[in-house]
Amino acid sequence: MRMLHSLRSFERRICRLSEFLAVTSGARRLRFRTGYTFLSEKGCAPQIPIFMIEFRNVKKSYPTGTVALKGVNLHIDDGEFVFIVGQSGAGKTTLMKLLLCEEKATSGTIIVGDTNVTRITNRKIPYYRRKLGVVFQDFRLLPNKTVYENVAFAMQVVGTPNKMIRRRVPAILNTVNLADKHNSFPNEISGGEQQRVALARALANNPSVIIADEPTGNIDPQMSLEIMNLLVKINKLGKTVIVVTHEQSLVDYYKQRVIMIGDGVVAEDHVGGMFE
Amino acid sequence: MRRYNPFYFVLESLKGLKRNGVMTFASVAVLLSCLVVMGGFALMVYNINFNLEKLDALNEIVVFTEYDASIEEIDELAGQIAALDNVESTSTKYKEQILADLKEENPDLYGDVTDEENPLSASITITYKSNEGVPELDFQLRQLSGVRKIRNDLNVATTIGNLKSGIMLVFIWFLVILFVVSIFIIINTIKLSVFSRRNEIGIMRYIGATGWFITLPFIFEGIIIGTVAALGGYFLIRGAYSYVIAKVVSSIQILSFIPMADLSGLLLLAFFGIGIATGVVGSSISLGKYLKK
Repeated sequence: MRMLHSLRSFERRICRLSEFLAVTSGARRLRFRTGYTFLSEKGCAPQIPIFMIEFRNVKKSYPTGTVALKGVNLHIDDGEFVFIVGQSGAGKTTLMKLLLCEEKATSGTIIVGDTNVTRITNRKIPYYRRKLGVVFQDFRLLPNKTVYENVAFAMQVVGTPNKMIRRRVPAILNTVNLADKHNSFPNEISGGEQQRVALARALANNPSVIIADEPTGNIDPQMSLEIMNLLVKINKLGKTVIVVTHEQSLVDYYKQRVIMIGDGVVAEDHVGGMFE
Repeated sequence: MRRYNPFYFVLESLKGLKRNGVMTFASVAVLLSCLVVMGGFALMVYNINFNLEKLDALNEIVVFTEYDASIEEIDELAGQIAALDNVESTSTKYKEQILADLKEENPDLYGDVTDEENPLSASITITYKSNEGVPELDFQLRQLSGVRKIRNDLNVATTIGNLKSGIMLVFIWFLVILFVVSIFIIINTIKLSVFSRRNEIGIMRYIGATGWFITLPFIFEGIIIGTVAALGGYFLIRGAYSYVIAKVVSSIQILSFIPMADLSGLLLLAFFGIGIATGVVGSSISLGKYLKK
């Protein structure tokens, strides 16, 4: 009995230590180190977002002199669904590029999960990108690979064993309702279906965040709704979803958090649609 | 630790080579030509040096003794000479023996000359170890008593030495230039391959592929091009060398050639080395800018 008591006391102490470390050094790393799940029935684990995205006064200017971002501050919690909107040239694309480590911020700090993206070394970028799933407006599928191969390719690239690929790809294709098209080539399926393949590929490595850059830009309205419904479904599975778009109707329809970028800063940030 | 399937890389590189078939063929052809020219030149240099070394072996110093030297004196002198540093071997011919040889060669002219009338002197033929030491040896011989005259071909030795180092210098420069040319050609081919797969590379980067995962298929492409060119070049050179030997040896008997069997291992190794190195260096350079981000 005494032993059980001391074990519980030890567990509580570990919890407190975990809580402290999680705040100071990033929850995901801590979870890995301590093996603690944060979901103790005792409720000692705090409500700490384990994959938050944070921009602190991020500025970006290009060598040509163009100032794209003039000091962006934003915070996206783990499991949130966010629309990023703004006019052309407002800085949306630069924001995405910084998030994907395609460009380096001129100043400021970007934290994604346990990674300080502004200080990341080139060698670590691939491993960081594996935590993000990206969907592009132009799908970017490999034309010489079938639907199945396109999704499997994403897993091959990160060294997933073939056995796991064979098990996981059909399940993902099922999630995006493309199980019957696995043998088709991209040019044999519609734009909406291609975008769903791209979504399946983004999901292949089980990333924490899905970033969709104008995912409905090249497809008809009916298909757009289907893609957006899929993104909502993915969000409900616990993944953070960031959708960059300028489609007013979609943003209003889904009534999610909207971050408006204007003139290189966060112009508006509110929940419930853009133009209400 | 995740394991990558090695067949993936080989398969991808073969696909890449097939996709740019014409350029692949062109690079193999150009690299093969470079290797054949390099190999042909190397064989030529080897054979020239081989023949020059044979001339080297003919280089001898002949020391003539005084006319009235006795056999004991001659033997003593030969002993002193043999003890010198740069001397490989000596052979003594007494004047009676020389006269006998001459009589045998030309009985009409020397048939009547008797041993008492022998106008010759004994000779000691020296084979030396190195060309560089000949001037010193010459000086040492002149210090010995009983030496009447010394005959050496110092100029020939120096000329042969200079010729050998000159040929070697030209060969090395030639090799460097051909190597650089080959690398540029491989770079071009791989660049085309990279260009046709730039979308794929872009997607790979977004998915989180590491630099070496992207690079490896292209390096394999370079290695395959290098290997095929090396093998082709080797067999071509082998055939050409045998043909040339057969033709030349029968017409110019003074020249001798190193047999192919002695060279084939070295040639194959050098071809593979150059071919593969060109492939690897070429691919790495062409991919550099795609892997920066």
